[in-house]
Amino acid sequence: MIVELGHYALVLALALSIAGAILPLYGALTGDRRLMAVAPSASLIVLVFVAFSFGALTHAYLVSDFSVRNVVENSHSLKPLIFKISGVWGNHEGSMLLWVLILALFGGLVALFGNNLPLKLKALVLAVQSAIGTAFLAFILATSNPFLRLDPAPAQGRDLNPVLQDIGLAIHPPLLYLGYVGCSISFAFAIAALIDGRIDAAWARWVRPWTLAAWVFLTLGITMGSYWAYYELGWGGWWFWDPVENASFMPWLAATALLHSAIVMEKRDALKIWTVLLAILTFSLSLLGTFLVRSGVLTSVHAFASDPARGVFILVILCLFIGGSFSLFALRAGTLAQGGLFAPISREGALVLNNLLLTAACATVLTGTLYPLALEALTGEKISVGAPFFDMTFGPLMVPLMIAVPFGPLLAWKRGDLYAAAQRLFAAFVLVLATIVVGLALAGTSKALAVLGLALAVWLITGSLCEMAFRVKLFRAPLAESVRRASGLPRAAFGTTLAHLGLGLTVLGIVASSAWNTELITTMKPGDTVEAGGRSLTLDGFLPVSGGTYSGTAARFTVREGGTVVATLAPEKRLYSVQNMPTTESAIRTFGLSQLYVSLGDIKPDGATVVRVYWKTLVTLIWIGAVVMALGGALSLSDRRLRVGAPKPARRGAAVPAE
Amino acid sequence: MLQWILMAVMTAAAALAVLVPIGRRPAAAEGSATSIYRDQLDELTRDRERGLIGETEAEAARIELSRRLLKADWATTDREADGRRAGRIGFIAAAVLVPAIALGVYLKIGAPQLPDQPLAARQSETTADAEIATLIGRVEQHLKEAPEDGTGWEILAPVYARLGRDDDAVRAWGNAIRLLGSTADREARMGEAMTARDGGVVTADAKAAFARALALDPSNDRARFYSAVAVTQSGDKPAAIAAWQALIADAPQDAPWLPVAKSELASLENPQAGPTASDMQAAAQKSPQEQQAMIEGMVASLAARLDAAPEDAEGWARLFRAYMVLGRPDDASAALARARTALAAKPELLAAVEKAASENGVSAAKP
Amino acid sequence: MTRKQRRLTLIGLAGLVLASAVGLILFALSDGIAFFATPSEVASNPPPPERRLRLGGLVEAGSVVKDGTEVRFAVTDGKAAIPVHYTGMLPDLFREGQGVVAEGKVDGAGLFQADTILAKHDETYMPKEVVEALKKSGEWRPEAAAEGPAPETVTR
Repeated sequence: MIVELGHYALVLALALSIAGAILPLYGALTGDRRLMAVAPSASLIVLVFVAFSFGALTHAYLVSDFSVRNVVENSHSLKPLIFKISGVWGNHEGSMLLWVLILALFGGLVALFGNNLPLKLKALVLAVQSAIGTAFLAFILATSNPFLRLDPAPAQGRDLNPVLQDIGLAIHPPLLYLGYVGCSISFAFAIAALIDGRIDAAWARWVRPWTLAAWVFLTLGITMGSYWAYYELGWGGWWFWDPVENASFMPWLAATALLHSAIVMEKRDALKIWTVLLAILTFSLSLLGTFLVRSGVLTSVHAFASDPARGVFILVILCLFIGGSFSLFALRAGTLAQGGLFAPISREGALVLNNLLLTAACATVLTGTLYPLALEALTGEKISVGAPFFDMTFGPLMVPLMIAVPFGPLLAWKRGDLYAAAQRLFAAFVLVLATIVVGLALAGTSKALAVLGLALAVWLITGSLCEMAFRVKLFRAPLAESVRRASGLPRAAFGTTLAHLGLGLTVLGIVASSAWNTELITTMKPGDTVEAGGRSLTLDGFLPVSGGTYSGTAARFTVREGGTVVATLAPEKRLYSVQNMPTTESAIRTFGLSQLYVSLGDIKPDGATVVRVYWKTLVTLIWIGAVVMALGGALSLSDRRLRVGAPKPARRGAAVPAE
Repeated sequence: MLQWILMAVMTAAAALAVLVPIGRRPAAAEGSATSIYRDQLDELTRDRERGLIGETEAEAARIELSRRLLKADWATTDREADGRRAGRIGFIAAAVLVPAIALGVYLKIGAPQLPDQPLAARQSETTADAEIATLIGRVEQHLKEAPEDGTGWEILAPVYARLGRDDDAVRAWGNAIRLLGSTADREARMGEAMTARDGGVVTADAKAAFARALALDPSNDRARFYSAVAVTQSGDKPAAIAAWQALIADAPQDAPWLPVAKSELASLENPQAGPTASDMQAAAQKSPQEQQAMIEGMVASLAARLDAAPEDAEGWARLFRAYMVLGRPDDASAALARARTALAAKPELLAAVEKAASENGVSAAKP
Repeated sequence: MTRKQRRLTLIGLAGLVLASAVGLILFALSDGIAFFATPSEVASNPPPPERRLRLGGLVEAGSVVKDGTEVRFAVTDGKAAIPVHYTGMLPDLFREGQGVVAEGKVDGAGLFQADTILAKHDETYMPKEVVEALKKSGEWRPEAAAEGPAPETVTR
């Protein structure tokens, strides 16, 4: 009964979404406040229905109800509880349901906490949200229904793909989807502004918290996915320029640009049309990502044809929303009023440069991702665009951006003084020079490029700290004065510093871990010892291991530092019996910010095995930096200035979205 | 019935989501751009007081904000629209269209007559399996921390052997012998695990283990049994017959391996009785293609026999295992479907077959 | 600066960034990509040694020789077989008779020096290029493959 009620709730959500899209839109166009008021209540009830539906599917997974086909195909009664739950979204149908759930969640949040919005804007935003919801609910019910039943029910399920049975992948998709789908809100705001033909600085302030929240989740989601690939795939890489990764990275680049241009619009009433375009672009890239991952085009252009209903349906949604929004933009952008003026050297100018470079970088990633598909579709020639392409295009565009980052916050609005800004960054200049000199002296000219990379990281880190020091007049005024100033600064200022600092940390991690790593691939027998990163690893022997649906062998390594045992590592080789699939589980040990990483090859009967040992210097900074960036975003989000405008001061606390 | 009542309640909730706001006078309070600009002005004043921005910049910003404040016009023009017409549109949408679409779509794609079928209600033995798995996991965890605990290995080894994890069983017995010392029973069981691992062939390693067992206890049945198998596989027929005869003569009448021993002896004396250990050994010497063909032939004849006489749960289990080992899961699924049809009238036999299917990871054919 | 000059600066900057992005893309496309080839194509028309290739086909049965971390095997499409040399750890699902994609270069002796090996990632997935190549050579058995999750990559 619960399964069928969940199914019915999903169908009802579709019917109500249609009403929630059409009635408020009609109301907004005719000025009928009652019809506009339908939007919030419909959005809330849709959220309740979709949440119930998702809960019903999760329940079916928990009790291993094998009369539900989706459960049979992706679960097994012996699977650990956490993977029974994550199995819900570890497959196509369930992940689309999660997508819609998050979409409904954002709609519900706007309905609940959007009290500071004019009714008309709110109605239009929610109508656009409902329209997106309608399209995806129809997609789920027509081509990817997770509630289809089997009668009679099989005795056992087919288990979840073992590679997905991992705690990292349990939380990665929800975070990523919160980011992807969060972009739908800024998209809805942009469409609402275009329909109404009116846009101003207040619009940017309403949009910014939602964009910021989506950006924070997207950052965390990508970070999580990168760390998962690093430890699960067993060969120590953390970013592969894989189309699936690019699909999440492009919206991130666009959203980062959007965050910055929305600041210009909020403070200076400028870049309005550009900001609206970016909002549309960001969500379009999210949709494109969903399409690329979900349609199967990536596996093969021909896989697309093997399930035409699914691929074509998403393609139609894609064309409808992207094509529709861009046509609307072309028609209405001219009616939006022009904004404030600024000199090229100014805070606005710096943010424009940021936007140009980020969108250009995003365009190169898009080219690299779609070019093989286009070429194959047009000429039949098959190529693969790999890391070298992206290193050659994305890298050079990021360098000027990173050099410019510390200048931005130091320039004044309207007209800035580049010389004064450079003076304030004097300390950073000195440290960068010191890094280059010391680095070249120690590492030699063969690592010149890596030393320059380090210098760039030092520039970003010290540059953002200089900016904060300048703001609080550190060392130029009594300490008490600095503390007083610091406490007076808005949280968003600290958020900016933290986010720029995080970027520097990530760059530092990338440069250090790729230039100063040790990599060994060797055959070892019990008793053998190898050296890596100043530590010795001894293979002690093998142990059997088993879990719910797998069994396997672990190798036990003892790690010694100067003769003393500092750690034991146990990488595993597993066989998942239901899917008859072997997997490799690497073992990782963190020393300071660096990591020792061991993974196993096949174990021969005589106990010899190929072992892969890495020492990666400062590698954890890659992800720590990204988390710091996200923290910066979260700190900005908590700034009280982003939640002002609630009708009653007493309710200000309640008007905080997604905090 | 309850299901239909709940569905009706849900439908009503959906209709009310549209009807309530239409029926109610909209609240007058709503947000507007003005409040945002007012707040920005307040903030500007605060920043100026703290000295965060200079006087000229503050003044310029104040002028700009004031200008925006004057232009702000997001608030809806308060035109009281034709309430009756809106009400009628909303009413039709809510009361007719939403339930009509929902019910229409659901009745087409849903399966309202199917009850939930949680596994717990259908099967109880999987929990026992799960318990075994957690128990093994716990012992393994213990051994990870204390790999020198011989007793732990000795407890684990027979469990591995029973689960068919022969590699692990061999390793576990090896550890138990190393840590607890060699006994006839441990050596013989390690040899047995090696034999199982190598597909029933008693290799030199296994033979050595049985020899050590017999040296410690010449009357160890297990070691004697596998030694007889080894002799049979070596092709020395008279010696093999002698070995089996000696084993059978000394055997207690209720020994579980006695029937196997007798049939081995019988097939040695009368070679027409179907595949025996020696046939298997012959198979081992054939080329991979011939071996494959022989196995396929055996599986095909087993399948044909079961189709003719399906009331053999063990036969089905062997067939499933064979298909899964040969990497033909689809054939296994098809066999399961045939077994279900053939045994529809014999639920207790079918239950055993289903159990065997799930143990071997056979899934039902896609509908 | 006049309003017009400001706008021109902005447009100039945008043009500069755009032009450099396009330049980088064109440069990288000539150098940073790998073409796909089948064993018969490589055998009949050997590529220059500096050209990066992705070689796709089946691992020829009985051709795998492992020596410590070094592996030699042959990739076949039923018509021609190309010997491949690889140092490092093979993917979990690398097996004889199964689909594989090797990325690398052909050396002077006609040996394919691979630096990346992709194997199918579960029982039903085969790298898409391999499917195409096998279809072309008539070795395709549709029951052996269907779409599946992304391939597993292993790089040295």
